[in-house]
Amino acid sequence: MSRRESRMEVDLPGKIELIADLPGHEDKAWHVAWNPARPLLASCSADKTVRLYHYNTISTSDTSDSSSSLKFELNTSIATGHTKTVRGIAWSPSGQTLATASFDANIGIWQQEEDEDGEAENNVNGGGEWECVSLLEGHETECKSVAYSSTGTLLASCSRDKTVWIWEVHPDADFECMGVLMEHSQDVKCVAWHPTEEILASASYDDTIKLYQDDPSDDWFCATTLTGHTSTVWSIAWEPKEGGYLASSSDDRTIRIWRRLPGKGDISFECAAVIEGHERSVYSISWAPAPEKEAVKDAGGKNLGWLASTGGDGTVLIWQINEVPGEPDKSPKIEQTLLARLDAAHGVHDLNAIAWCPRAGMDGIFATAGDDGHTKVWKLILS
Amino acid sequence: MEVFNPNPTIFVPTKSRHAQFAKPHSLWLNDPDSEQDTDEDDSDEVEQIDQDEIFDLIRSISDPEHRSMTLEQLAVVSAPQITFNSKVPDRVTVEFTPTVPHCGMSTFIGLSIRVRLLRSLPERYKIDIRVKPGSHESEHALNKQLNDKERVAAALENPALLEVLEQCLSTAGRST
Repeated sequence: MSRRESRMEVDLPGKIELIADLPGHEDKAWHVAWNPARPLLASCSADKTVRLYHYNTISTSDTSDSSSSLKFELNTSIATGHTKTVRGIAWSPSGQTLATASFDANIGIWQQEEDEDGEAENNVNGGGEWECVSLLEGHETECKSVAYSSTGTLLASCSRDKTVWIWEVHPDADFECMGVLMEHSQDVKCVAWHPTEEILASASYDDTIKLYQDDPSDDWFCATTLTGHTSTVWSIAWEPKEGGYLASSSDDRTIRIWRRLPGKGDISFECAAVIEGHERSVYSISWAPAPEKEAVKDAGGKNLGWLASTGGDGTVLIWQINEVPGEPDKSPKIEQTLLARLDAAHGVHDLNAIAWCPRAGMDGIFATAGDDGHTKVWKLILS
Repeated sequence: MEVFNPNPTIFVPTKSRHAQFAKPHSLWLNDPDSEQDTDEDDSDEVEQIDQDEIFDLIRSISDPEHRSMTLEQLAVVSAPQITFNSKVPDRVTVEFTPTVPHCGMSTFIGLSIRVRLLRSLPERYKIDIRVKPGSHESEHALNKQLNDKERVAAALENPALLEVLEQCLSTAGRST
């Protein structure tokens, strides 16, 4: 039942179809994460559990309406042992390790026990129990987000205690703290690594975004601060192929796209676009490379991919992001085109997270997590 | 505990209406001949809850500093301070007035209003809590944290805070 006024809207080029509705969490579902190497989807919740769903993969040759052949089923529910909400989850690039970020201020590191044959890696349906192989303590208050770097050698975490921690990942689930960065003046909501370089971004209740680099002869340091949002920055996402852009979403209901400026030395950015469309806080964004064959033909320029956004208005918006040449001697420009819109994706409830599936053969597939405790899987279909 | 307002002004509460979520069918509530549904709920009909009904939910919350007083008696909440978005009737703004500009209990009071409404209203309602403009020295900071769902959720997982909150909410269902 829609209580909203109907809109006069030009038909959008895309529509969003539901592939799977996965209930089960007994309280808000806060986050979702796709395993990058295995057909597993993870969700986490205020009920202190992580749920893992297994899905069958579509063969890449199946280009027709394949949504009906994609099936999700519950693989397991991990009673994490966290004493409060599990707020964030992240898979290592190898897909073997899961990190959990909890309001109890700790980070859990989880791996599957090998089954008797020692074939945990290949056995997606079995493969043994998930066990906590390490507990990273240190944050003083709620941990909000964890993220692995692109090579998997670093893990970042952040908290209401205003800090960002960087951990080095060693064999045998050994983690060494490489830095505690106390640059933000308020809670840090989200951390995200550059897709190819060791550059970390953090988003904060202090309305700013900070970027950190490692000085080989010294420590991790804050290289630059991005200001412009007029309220809490909830989520950040890098342009996934080259990391030439960073997207951010805020309580101020906008999404900003920041361009990384060329040049040597410390990194710097300028704001390239401010995108409006949501009616309440934008809690989460996700940026996927768009398959070339799906690029909207009349957009022109360089196709930077699809940005999906969602938040307190319960709406999912999907934008095509294009880079177009600017005036001579000026920076290129960003143009966004709204591809698809879905209202009330989780009924009357807020959506807390949105994530594109990064695996081959899963183009256009994304997952959402909502206050109704459901995780839902969707497909973007372009006409 | 530091007392912020040792001598609060107490207001006389107004009579409570016979407050039910509005039954739109019959003018005669107790009419035995009418064919009205008595078991309607909010699943099929979009009944709008009005200002007075929301006020009835929050008026009897106890003030954390003066537990024998309600938010209504201390003029912290009032019906006119509850407003609806004309375009989206399920979005409600509840404004409250701390008794003194430096009131350190304001976050707690705002939280108690939010929790009471979260537990009592149908799920479709989105609530914004604000202090009355000009009534508090940290107005912006206060509004920001009262409307940050993550901070609110984390606060409610704090057992000590939750215990005091439940005590202040225990009086909320009583009519004056």
